[in-house]
Amino acid sequence: MKRKIGTALVAGAGISGIRAALDLAECGYGVTLIDRCPHIGGILSQLDYQFPTDRCGMCKMLPSIARDDSSQYCLRKGLFHENIEIRLSTEIISLEGEPGHFKVMLRGKPGLISHELCTGCGACTAVCPVEVPDEFNEGLSLRKAVYLPVPHAIPNTYVIDTDACTRCGACEEACPTAAIRLSQGERRQFHILVVDDELIVRDSLKEWLEDEGFSVDMAESGPEALEQLANCAYHLMLADIKMTGMDGVELLKKAKEALPDLCVVMMTAYATVETAVEAMKIGALDYLIKPFDPNALISMVLRIYQDFETGQGHLSDFGAVVLCGGAAYFNPAESKNPFGYGVLPNVITSLEFERILSGTGPCQGKLVRPSDGKAIRKAAWIQCVGSRDLQTDADFCSDVCCMYAIKECLLAREKAEGEIETTIFYMDMRTFGKSFQRYRDQAENEQGVRFERGRIHSVIQDKEDNEGNLILHYSDRGGALHDESYDMVILAVGQLPAAGMAELAEMLKIPLNPWGFAQSEPFSLTQTGREGILLGGSFSGLKDIGESVTQASAAALSASRVIHAAGGSQEIESDTSEYRDVSRDYPKILVLVCTCGNRLSASDPQEIVRELEKDPAVFHVEFLGQTCTAEGWDRLAGLAEKYKPNRILIAACLSYIYARKLRELARQIGLNPALTEAVSYHQSASNPRGSGNLLSLLRMGIARLRHADPSPVLSVPVCQEALVVGGGIAGMTAALAVADHGFQVYLIEQAEVLGGNLRWLQKTIEGYEIKTLLDDTRMKVEKHPRIQVHIRTRVIASYGQVGSFFTTVQDEEGLTHTLEHGVTVLATGGTEAAATSYGYGTSSLVVTQKELEQKLAEKSLDPKKLAAVVMIQCVGSREEPRNYCSRVCCASALKHALYLKSQNPDMAIYVLYRDMMSYGFAETYFTQARKAGVIFIQYEVKEKPRVKISDQSVYVTVFDPILGSELEIESDLLVLATGIVPALPEYIVTTFGASVDRDGFFQEAESKWRPVDSLKEGVFGCGIAHSPRSAAESVISAEAAAQRALRILSYKQLPGGKFTAKVRHSLCSLCERCIAACPYGARVIDTDSEKIQVNPVMCQGCGSCAAVCPNSASFLEGYSIRQMLEVVDAAFA
Amino acid sequence: MNQAEHKEKLSVHDALAPIREKIQACIQCGTCSGSCPNEFAMDMTPRHLWRLLLMGQAEDIFHSKTFMLCSACYYCTLRCPRGLPLTEAMGELKQIAARENLVPYNQSVRFYKSFMESVRRHGRVQEMEFMTLYFASMKSPFLPLRFAPLGLRLMSKGKVHLHIPLQNDPESLDAVFRKAEEMEKVRSEK
Repeated sequence: MKRKIGTALVAGAGISGIRAALDLAECGYGVTLIDRCPHIGGILSQLDYQFPTDRCGMCKMLPSIARDDSSQYCLRKGLFHENIEIRLSTEIISLEGEPGHFKVMLRGKPGLISHELCTGCGACTAVCPVEVPDEFNEGLSLRKAVYLPVPHAIPNTYVIDTDACTRCGACEEACPTAAIRLSQGERRQFHILVVDDELIVRDSLKEWLEDEGFSVDMAESGPEALEQLANCAYHLMLADIKMTGMDGVELLKKAKEALPDLCVVMMTAYATVETAVEAMKIGALDYLIKPFDPNALISMVLRIYQDFETGQGHLSDFGAVVLCGGAAYFNPAESKNPFGYGVLPNVITSLEFERILSGTGPCQGKLVRPSDGKAIRKAAWIQCVGSRDLQTDADFCSDVCCMYAIKECLLAREKAEGEIETTIFYMDMRTFGKSFQRYRDQAENEQGVRFERGRIHSVIQDKEDNEGNLILHYSDRGGALHDESYDMVILAVGQLPAAGMAELAEMLKIPLNPWGFAQSEPFSLTQTGREGILLGGSFSGLKDIGESVTQASAAALSASRVIHAAGGSQEIESDTSEYRDVSRDYPKILVLVCTCGNRLSASDPQEIVRELEKDPAVFHVEFLGQTCTAEGWDRLAGLAEKYKPNRILIAACLSYIYARKLRELARQIGLNPALTEAVSYHQSASNPRGSGNLLSLLRMGIARLRHADPSPVLSVPVCQEALVVGGGIAGMTAALAVADHGFQVYLIEQAEVLGGNLRWLQKTIEGYEIKTLLDDTRMKVEKHPRIQVHIRTRVIASYGQVGSFFTTVQDEEGLTHTLEHGVTVLATGGTEAAATSYGYGTSSLVVTQKELEQKLAEKSLDPKKLAAVVMIQCVGSREEPRNYCSRVCCASALKHALYLKSQNPDMAIYVLYRDMMSYGFAETYFTQARKAGVIFIQYEVKEKPRVKISDQSVYVTVFDPILGSELEIESDLLVLATGIVPALPEYIVTTFGASVDRDGFFQEAESKWRPVDSLKEGVFGCGIAHSPRSAAESVISAEAAAQRALRILSYKQLPGGKFTAKVRHSLCSLCERCIAACPYGARVIDTDSEKIQVNPVMCQGCGSCAAVCPNSASFLEGYSIRQMLEVVDAAFA
Repeated sequence: MNQAEHKEKLSVHDALAPIREKIQACIQCGTCSGSCPNEFAMDMTPRHLWRLLLMGQAEDIFHSKTFMLCSACYYCTLRCPRGLPLTEAMGELKQIAARENLVPYNQSVRFYKSFMESVRRHGRVQEMEFMTLYFASMKSPFLPLRFAPLGLRLMSKGKVHLHIPLQNDPESLDAVFRKAEEMEKVRSEK
């Protein structure tokens, strides 16, 4: 394990929070990951399947290097990492200080159930009398007040919904492990002093408050009260105002002098309310009017109690704060046009539909309507509900709805085995991401998803024979009216700023954008206005998983920069010395069995001890009570110290908790943690396992441990230098990011100057000057002592693996030299695709968007002299062979159209488009362009515009689907948006061991979960070489790539995992099947020694090699045949 | 194109500009067309109409009956995702048609005018007077015959009052109408 002194706070434990936390933790920083929910995973815990795989795959985010530092099971179930402290139901209360040294007050909701003691048996839920809608299932089902926040978490401990709980105490009685501490016990610690000169008042107050579980004392006069206050610590005093002798106000004054923090509530008759108000001015918290309403009294005291309970915030120091608070979802019921949502039961939101699809959802994954159980055979999706709607103040596109609607259609079709009609009603299908367009085409052409361009205005109950069905009434583009009946209508709801965004922004002093999301700085989507506070995920607005994850890594990078600059990279001296070498010792296994508080009724301990001790490898067997308590654990640790075993096996309920504790224990006693094992032994009414079962479980564990390899985990040395190929904005950003952390960077650029596409770009659509970004970045790169820039240089070849690459580069004069580096970042960029159609090249009146930008910049084109301009979008894009959206062209067209209109408002501008991809906040520029009078004409790929060119004019003929007729437009200029092609030579990618996708872009390991990594460890891609993107988007991808690279560079020796593949060379016939089978490229053949070699860091322990090996020469450590057969034998013995 | 026609076209074009301004942000989503309860009777959908308006194709607009058929239910205005004042725009098209005395709308415009005249005189419509005014303005001797069956049916149900209204009805809205006309005049001068 690696640990630096720097710490970071990641607020929000959704997918981006997890990514940011893991990225920082893998670099060695201490991370506190908080979430206000009682579970991690955010919105994704509710979404089971993600496109394009239509599966999950979240676990691919888990560390691929130093794997043993973190959990290695389904990330939906939970997460642990040596360097991450997860605190749930926790919020930020305040933040002070400077970047690098923030003091943050965190406040957690009091946990009424002990996580250590709860075994997740469910006895509490069975007896709980309260039922409320389950937010996990979007309210489609009910849950109890004591419940599991997510059904699959590990450890899955119950929580109490304090708002819904009536504190009846039934769960507390039912809990077999006494894990539930309903506030009764805690309330006893809350001391209240009642001061009144009337006995009857004192008595009744005492009685009421004691019924609520509080500790109550009484005093009959001011002096007596002061005496009691001096003797005992009270939390609250209820004082009467009118008392003989010392009155309440005087008592208050005196009490506050001695105890300034004491809460005081004044009691008064109606006539003296003014006095009570006066009393509040001198420090009373509130007042009560006599005669009391017991309910009002109790609720006031409870409020004070809750504040007292939660008020104890926890002040911590953090170098940087990453905000990953995610987004909220639009609620159609609260909108002007609710589409029948909330009234018609079969109109649901897309989130609710995800829950219907889910196996843990209200319909157990069956495709039926929750309202009446009828199978769904005809479903419609309505797009842009709460997006692109000025009436709901949503002049933005939510980015994700088009794709999730297609995914939901495909999932529904799979569930219904094709026996379903699925229709998407949309305005523009925004398939702007990498591979999105092909996904859509496949849905449309192969899967039969119907795409209907039209906006539905409302949903009506079908009054005919179909009970519960819904009628959609719409006008198609030709003007024909249709009425269609559907079983279910799904509203593709858009995103909104996360709840509490405004308050958080105010508290942290960060700006918000006009739509209420966090405002990011120009060209940096992660920087807020305040240094050291970063934005990850969709907190700054509207992102899909891949982009959220990229942004989270970029935010982690920026956080790391701040922490590093403040000196946080200094390593903490590890107190653990080398592990004891036990490789030559005979196995000496200490077996410890938790009796779970003597509830191990069915087993006979002595019998088990006798049986196990027959095995010579078993050194000692011990039964212990409740190892889950601190006391029990200390006893266990004592035994381990005493016996000095070289293997430890523990049997207890919730073995996954012990996995982590065991590692710590092993380290304490100098034992390799790989030599410890926990087996899950859980006894409950529903699972009455006898001693026989326990015995076989223990024997299985023993079998695993006996053959566990005690040799230390292998590691590979790292050359702590980076190579960045490409000197555009992505390359420069990545180089700076790595170099700023103190590592040497070689930046290779083919051209004679750095800058790439930034050299011709002028302004962004928001109006930011590109030149500022370019000059600023170039200056920093050129002056950076740790960056060595090689211009006019090309990469010739490279060999090596993560930690050590040797790359040969050649300069213009043909001189070559070789660089050694530990990681590679590919940022070779891309260019505008060449135009070959619409008469391009035959006339100067036909230009590309890039040429237009250049001409406008050089002023060789005068907008005032143009009467009409036609722009054609998607030229050669979004159809085979270049079947992808280039993302930037629609924004450029809008940018240029708006500029031309601003220079010459009388100019007629026609934009011929297929789907306007003005995603995110760019939508607002689409609106502006419309308002400025730009005419947008939609065309179909089958019916492309036709162009005729004369000397003076370009005549464009296009079919307008709304007018239903062809238009001929005479224009002075035709602008073609040809899209982006990558400039990523395949030989460069393959020489580094990575690969390109079918369009020639960098092939990422996983588009959602590992968006900038390649499958080959140590090689990363970013910028346009990765996928078409804007300058700001290139910057975040570069920062993300740099962050991923830094995980590796921050190690001198990169540790591999405990379970990696190995080769028995004596059995190996060098058939090389394993090399082909390895998805991570971890195997190479060493031709000198004629041996297959496995890189222990790159190997992820998947076992593919072991499966294909015909000789069993290849095997997976920890799963060798001998070991597994023995485990199987033990299981069936 | 003769002089008069040309002049008419120009004035109509100018008059369309402010309406176009109002609906410029239209994204042709078709919500208005799907919402319109009278769409079945229209020769082109509202979306089509807005498209022509944005394209400045006044001739086609003023050959269509679409805007005249708008019953000002405000569904489209309520539902338009761009929040455009579509009903208002329909109304303004009607006004142009009336102001410019465009032939295809004579019948509708006169019907409207006769209706309003009756309202102006009495504060409510007096059916007999209204129809008399209408027939008189249309100057077609056979027109009353076309309405006769409807008139008889309405009369049999007591929906048409036969009494001759006063010429100087104390409930006259004349003052209100005059004021409105004045205001319109001021606005158009601006």
